[in-house]
Amino acid sequence: MPQVKIIARNFMDMVASLPAVKLDKLYESPFICEAIVRSLPPLAKKYALQMMYIDRPVPAKAMDEWVLIDGVSKHNVAIDRLVQLRVFVETVDRKKEVSYQLNPTFQESLQNQLVHGGVLSREPMPSNTAGRIPSLEELEAYALNQWECFLLHLINSIQSEKLTNFSSSMMKIFQSGLLSQREKEAPKLTEKGFQFLLMDTNAQLWYIMREYISNAEARNVDPADLISFLLELSFHELGQAYNVNTLTEFQKHTIKDLADLGLVKLQQGMKDSWFIPTKLATNLSVSLSDVSTRKQGFMVVETNFRLYAYSSSKLHCEILRLFSRIEYVLPNLVVGAITKESLYNAFGNGITAEQIVSFLQQNAHPRVANRIPSVPENVTDQIRLWEADLNRVEFTSAHFYDEFPSRDLFETACDYAREHGGLLWEDSKKMRLVVKTEVHVHMREHIRQQKY
Amino acid sequence: MVNATKGVFISCDIPMAQFIITLNAQQPANRKFIIHVLDNTHLFIQPDGVGTIRTKIQEFRDQNTYEKPP
Repeated sequence: MPQVKIIARNFMDMVASLPAVKLDKLYESPFICEAIVRSLPPLAKKYALQMMYIDRPVPAKAMDEWVLIDGVSKHNVAIDRLVQLRVFVETVDRKKEVSYQLNPTFQESLQNQLVHGGVLSREPMPSNTAGRIPSLEELEAYALNQWECFLLHLINSIQSEKLTNFSSSMMKIFQSGLLSQREKEAPKLTEKGFQFLLMDTNAQLWYIMREYISNAEARNVDPADLISFLLELSFHELGQAYNVNTLTEFQKHTIKDLADLGLVKLQQGMKDSWFIPTKLATNLSVSLSDVSTRKQGFMVVETNFRLYAYSSSKLHCEILRLFSRIEYVLPNLVVGAITKESLYNAFGNGITAEQIVSFLQQNAHPRVANRIPSVPENVTDQIRLWEADLNRVEFTSAHFYDEFPSRDLFETACDYAREHGGLLWEDSKKMRLVVKTEVHVHMREHIRQQKY
Repeated sequence: MVNATKGVFISCDIPMAQFIITLNAQQPANRKFIIHVLDNTHLFIQPDGVGTIRTKIQEFRDQNTYEKPP
């Protein structure tokens, strides 16, 4: 799913933009190194692992020989990425030749990880002290519930029943890109807000995490510490309890916020309190690579454009309301119809047909998910046609040239416009030309020069 | 001497082009916006015509829709 890659890569760009000193400090933790390796493009992964036990710098020319001619662009992309993340350290020797070596801190941590298999600094608590730990299903239900509550709270800041414990300033930060608030009007979802709702859960999680981290500095929290804690959390074991006293002060603060999002569950016993990571947390590092877990779909789309969503969640109802006309809402079923008007509504709000179609396909009910295609073709085609109907006429700002004194001048003008990608229309018989406004100024100069 | 006219270039399908041409014919003489009809799918118009065209197309589209009452 391309969107998770985009979001995750943006997260990695954020990591890459940290100052060198902080990045080196981050690389002392073996978990971060493993998470970073997982997020690299495949060729870069191979290079990082290959260089793991090589101590001397390898000349760039030798590396270029590792790929065939067709792979050169991928090779360059991989090397750039590695240098950007400071995984590869570049050295230029006296002959002005570049050679690369794996960052020594990174190398050591990765070797440790490989040999010792990643021992966490904290161990799960023994079951007799930990008391009643929820089962995996209960944990998953809890995580889903929290996340949905959070999303609902995000969209309907007034209407959701259970208020989360986020301070209003935090919520404002999350909402800043997604909601637009004009004075005396209820807050409205922006285009990005709609697209956010239709994204996959992992992509949404990464978006929120990115916003959370970018605003960390404003709250006097070091983003590097936050990133290392988050990535470390993702390597904890699902469903095991970990004591809260193993966390530092700042980590305790963060844990509270994460509990509100549904990433961990906090529980309190007689003497200790502990936290239990849920699937959302353990998926944090997994979703950096391409593999993502599919949750159960719940929607059936029929060829008569009717939609049956077997779900009792308010969030799903709201999302469906965005682009379809809801007919009945029953305790475990939402019935809707995809109509031209409801789609025009969605297009007016900035959602594209592709997003709607991929949302329908990703959330297809298991009963129809095995059918090919999971959403009937006439429905997907019609959605795209309706979108195209809105764009029947294309307007381009342009200039119209005629009355050329000679055919040669006309030909040169045509060629010039074509080279600069500004030629919109030409008529050779009557020697008329239409050129984009951006190219017009240069065209004028060019034609004036041609005459003399 | 080469003549350059500033305006907006329209690219659309044949029915829409005809629609815009009829629209232009219905406008009073001082508000006509088509400068040249280039061929049956392209037109060159004045920039002020863009808004009028957009609203008229929207109205045309709405005439053909029916919303089932809730």
